[in-house]
Amino acid sequence: MNDHLILKKDHTLSLLRRLMREHRLVAPLRNRHGDTLFSEVEDLAGAELDLEHQPQASLKPFLFPQQETMFRYRLDGEGGYRFEPPEPGRPLLFFGVRACDLSAVLYLDVIFSKRGRDPYYFARRRDSLLISLACNQPFANCFCNSAKTGPFLEYGFDLQLTDLGDRYLVEVGRARGAELVGRWRHFFTPAEEADRKAQYQALLESRSHFQRQVHLEQAIRRLQADEPLPEELWAGLSRRCQDCGGCAYVCPTCTCFTITDQQITATEGLRQRSWDACTFGGFTRLAGGHNPVDPGREAVRQRFLHKLLYDVREHGRPSCVGCGRCVGICFGGVDIVRFIDLVCEVRQ
Amino acid sequence: MAGLATTFGSGAMTNSIEEIGQAQVILAVGSNTTEAHPQVARRIFAALDRGAKLIVVDPRRTRLAEHAHLHLALRPGTDIPLINAMMRVILDENLADDLFVEMRTENFLALRDMLFQMDLEAVAAITGVGLAAISAAAQIYARAQKAVICYCLGITQHICGTDNVQAIANLAMLAGQVEKEFTGVDPLRGQNNVQGACDMGALPGVFPSYQPVENQDHREKFERAWGVELPSRPGLTLLQMSHGGAGGPIRGLFVMGENPMLSDPALDKVRETLTGLDFLAVSDLFLTETAALADVVFPAASFAEKTGTFTSSERRVQMVRAAIPPFSGCRTDSDILMALSEAMGYRMDYDSPAEIMEEITLLAPIYGGMFHDRLERSWGLQWPCWNRNHPGTPFLHKYFFTRGRGRFMPGEHQGASEPVDADYPLILNTGRVYHHYHTGTMTRQCPALNRECPEAALEVNPEDAAALKLRTGELVRLASRRGEVTVRVLVSAQTPPGSVYTSFHFPETPINLLTTAARDPKAQCPEYKVCAVRLAKV
Amino acid sequence: MTDNGNPYLPHPARILRVREENSQIKSFELAFTDPERHRAFTYRPGQFVMVSVPHGGEAPISISSSPTRPGRLTLSVRKAGRLTAALHRMAEGELVGLRGPYGRPFPVEELRGRDLIFVAGGIGLAPLASVVNLCLDRREEYGQLTVLYGSRSPADIAFRDELEGWRRAGVKCLLTVDQGGEGWTGQVGLVTTLFAQISPDPGRSSALICGPPVMFRFVAAELTRLGLSDQDIVTTLERHMKCGLGVCRHCHLGPKLVCAHGPVFTLAELRGLREAELA
Repeated sequence: MNDHLILKKDHTLSLLRRLMREHRLVAPLRNRHGDTLFSEVEDLAGAELDLEHQPQASLKPFLFPQQETMFRYRLDGEGGYRFEPPEPGRPLLFFGVRACDLSAVLYLDVIFSKRGRDPYYFARRRDSLLISLACNQPFANCFCNSAKTGPFLEYGFDLQLTDLGDRYLVEVGRARGAELVGRWRHFFTPAEEADRKAQYQALLESRSHFQRQVHLEQAIRRLQADEPLPEELWAGLSRRCQDCGGCAYVCPTCTCFTITDQQITATEGLRQRSWDACTFGGFTRLAGGHNPVDPGREAVRQRFLHKLLYDVREHGRPSCVGCGRCVGICFGGVDIVRFIDLVCEVRQ
Repeated sequence: MAGLATTFGSGAMTNSIEEIGQAQVILAVGSNTTEAHPQVARRIFAALDRGAKLIVVDPRRTRLAEHAHLHLALRPGTDIPLINAMMRVILDENLADDLFVEMRTENFLALRDMLFQMDLEAVAAITGVGLAAISAAAQIYARAQKAVICYCLGITQHICGTDNVQAIANLAMLAGQVEKEFTGVDPLRGQNNVQGACDMGALPGVFPSYQPVENQDHREKFERAWGVELPSRPGLTLLQMSHGGAGGPIRGLFVMGENPMLSDPALDKVRETLTGLDFLAVSDLFLTETAALADVVFPAASFAEKTGTFTSSERRVQMVRAAIPPFSGCRTDSDILMALSEAMGYRMDYDSPAEIMEEITLLAPIYGGMFHDRLERSWGLQWPCWNRNHPGTPFLHKYFFTRGRGRFMPGEHQGASEPVDADYPLILNTGRVYHHYHTGTMTRQCPALNRECPEAALEVNPEDAAALKLRTGELVRLASRRGEVTVRVLVSAQTPPGSVYTSFHFPETPINLLTTAARDPKAQCPEYKVCAVRLAKV
Repeated sequence: MTDNGNPYLPHPARILRVREENSQIKSFELAFTDPERHRAFTYRPGQFVMVSVPHGGEAPISISSSPTRPGRLTLSVRKAGRLTAALHRMAEGELVGLRGPYGRPFPVEELRGRDLIFVAGGIGLAPLASVVNLCLDRREEYGQLTVLYGSRSPADIAFRDELEGWRRAGVKCLLTVDQGGEGWTGQVGLVTTLFAQISPDPGRSSALICGPPVMFRFVAAELTRLGLSDQDIVTTLERHMKCGLGVCRHCHLGPKLVCAHGPVFTLAELRGLREAELA
């Protein structure tokens, strides 16, 4: 059962300051150019915390960086071709995480647990804390209601905060959240029945504020039916795809990566892991030049089917969390919402 | 540049890029927009989603052409007769904007006389495009309330490049498709700051803000500011410098961020010229093919290491801020220039990039209000921006053309400098690919981009490939009268029969060994888009 | 596969011997520098390892030696891209990195008692060689063994020593070349033309195929015509791979991943998967 507590907004920063002693704090900050991004907070007093806007990128870069060193390798004359992994950093505390982004982290946990836990991902994830913020006000491209990942969470968080004006209603989720509340008990007071009612009201209002109607489940049912989608649908989408990879980069659940060696000296170098995208032509092309995927006709096929069909089969739920970021970034207007709409039209 | 300057009075996009998304008709001429200007293609797609009509004029079936309502696949280098024919249709169908022509333009009668004398059947034969398609394109364009023309290097990199541009300007004026929002003529510029370089007078005949050097008032203004005497005659153009030959007039050259040993046509001539210099200095991020020939190389700082402005295709001056200090040993362009100048006995005394910009606002009227503090607070300002309070100019020529009245400049078809013949039966067309930038100096350093596009591919039409028994992946020797390269074949219907197409990004395949140094006599832009070649299997 | 918890950690291995199979293919016999690791390293036919080449990154290479010959670890590599070209430049005594083995092997246990037809083109014989040698080492467990091998030209015929050894051991080895040449008296034509020379009993035959997609299409059609069921037609697929662990997704085959669900698949499993390029 969730505990329900109250944290006054007046005391939120001082709680965070306490937590920062053991954790690297990551929160949505507004920078001087007006962009809101999850950023590591060095100086809480000088940072402009922004809980009003959707951060332009998800938490993904903090757990699975755009580029990271897997090993430093060294060659030496006598029997040496050694690979040394880097040292892990301090544990992370994520604050102000929206339901969609937190749901995406739960998906990443599953993906990086396959066939041997991914040591790099879990070195960052293992001791991290997730404090989420229930979404009172969905943004223009949001459809987490349709993806069933929000706007409020029922599980997965350590703490979930709901903005009730001058205070947050705090729900305690995982054990680490309970531990946190136990250790810093004096910051919290028990919630009253009225607070819980206010939270319920906020949830209802939030649900009514979605601007987009996205029929994700209907599209999934259509994809699960055996008859394939019309070829022209795929080709039309692919013609529009401008091959920028932006969708995969902003997507909180896209985890395709590549591994390359970067030579530093004749005997030293770094083995790097970097984000990749299945929409890129070179993603599947073999060394000899043969490509089992025709990027001209099926550039976006793997991406959409993986998210909405293959993952439903494998994990029982789609890996689109409805954050809407790809809608805003797609150069060709062939984001996942366009795809879902097209699939639903085919079905009629 | 020269084409729009003579017709409109200003050689830049008349619109903002964002406006293209609201146009009802988009006429894209000689622009491989999805590969070269994805940000513009994005607006074209947005316009299509709003119901706009797209007409693509391009010899190749580009990705954009696949989205077109009408694709006029003309023979390379026949843009002028095609556009003239469109104008003739506009006259015949009574679709000319008479009021606009009357109020805002001059020299219309010369154009009209030429159009009435032209033979439309001959145009179809020259261009290879049927009259019905030309007529449909003309009517769609002229009937629209808001229509834009986007053109790019497929127009300018011809021996008749300036006349091509003038033909486009004529068309826009005849249909009254300028001087309004969402309506205009938009040359798409390539490099992120090529517009800024032109604006700052990196052209042979003008000071910053396009103030001709011959004009005594302008000259005196700059002489006063800089305390030196300035030349009153235009300098040399790019090819006059890089193609001067071993004993050419230029003895010393300083090349900044340019790689003529890969990008200029007829590379053998460039090599002869550069190696024949008394002294060559190059500043660049990496040791380019050109830098490898230099006596002195200055390691330059990248965009991420310097503060200043870039001016985009839509005349937008935007701040770029140093994110990291220059890599060890590298210096910013202004730093290199100032140090060099000081060493040569002239002290350039600026404390900061902002102070340099202050001088620009003083001397370059179209940048009159572009102070760094203003640019800092915004997504940039579009020139002309006359003073501190001026909001900038999203679209040009509102109420009147920059030169007063727009001037019709009738022009007729000119054959390519090097027509195909029995020895060299194919036309070589060159362009760019999405994944690489110019001579690859930067993009070839990136593993991801190299994976996406590791080498040059020569597009050959399936018909020609069948005749030559070529398959995708095979190596061929591609030769012109000036040189040859070995390149891998990509059989593709994107390129029409009779021509082949490739890019110039790859030092391994220096395609400009083949291209011709023939150039437009007005703008001095080389004819990269047409030269005669032959193929042989390796 | 725990490898101190880091499944991406390569282990150094020394090139013991290099054999030039043809102008494009070399075979490398390798041994982990740590003798303990070398002894403990086990694999099954059809599996692959991720090979690191200094400054060149990693690529998946299938193992061509047989686990029935302990201590032997051979990789046959065709020069196709940057990494394999770098590997071809390496000499005996130099070091590479290895991790693995990965992937689903050939079902050599299920194939016991059956006649086996091996069909390969070019480098495709490498993963099949592992099975052929296993069968020869457990000769009594398998029925007739037939190898159909296609090469581009007589000069391109690789694995000659291996083929000779198999012939001597009673394996029916039939060769063909796409383009004949001076002194070549054998078959000319695609590998499918060799089917005229065999008459397998479809009830007790299974086929193992490795070659380019177009070859697999034609060979599969030929085997189907001879009466083999989709279950009895087995192939191994080549794909771009980065992790080998089923995470990076470069090797996707629609819903499946070649590194994790394959690389060995039956034709029955590939039917209906567009990326299998059967059409």
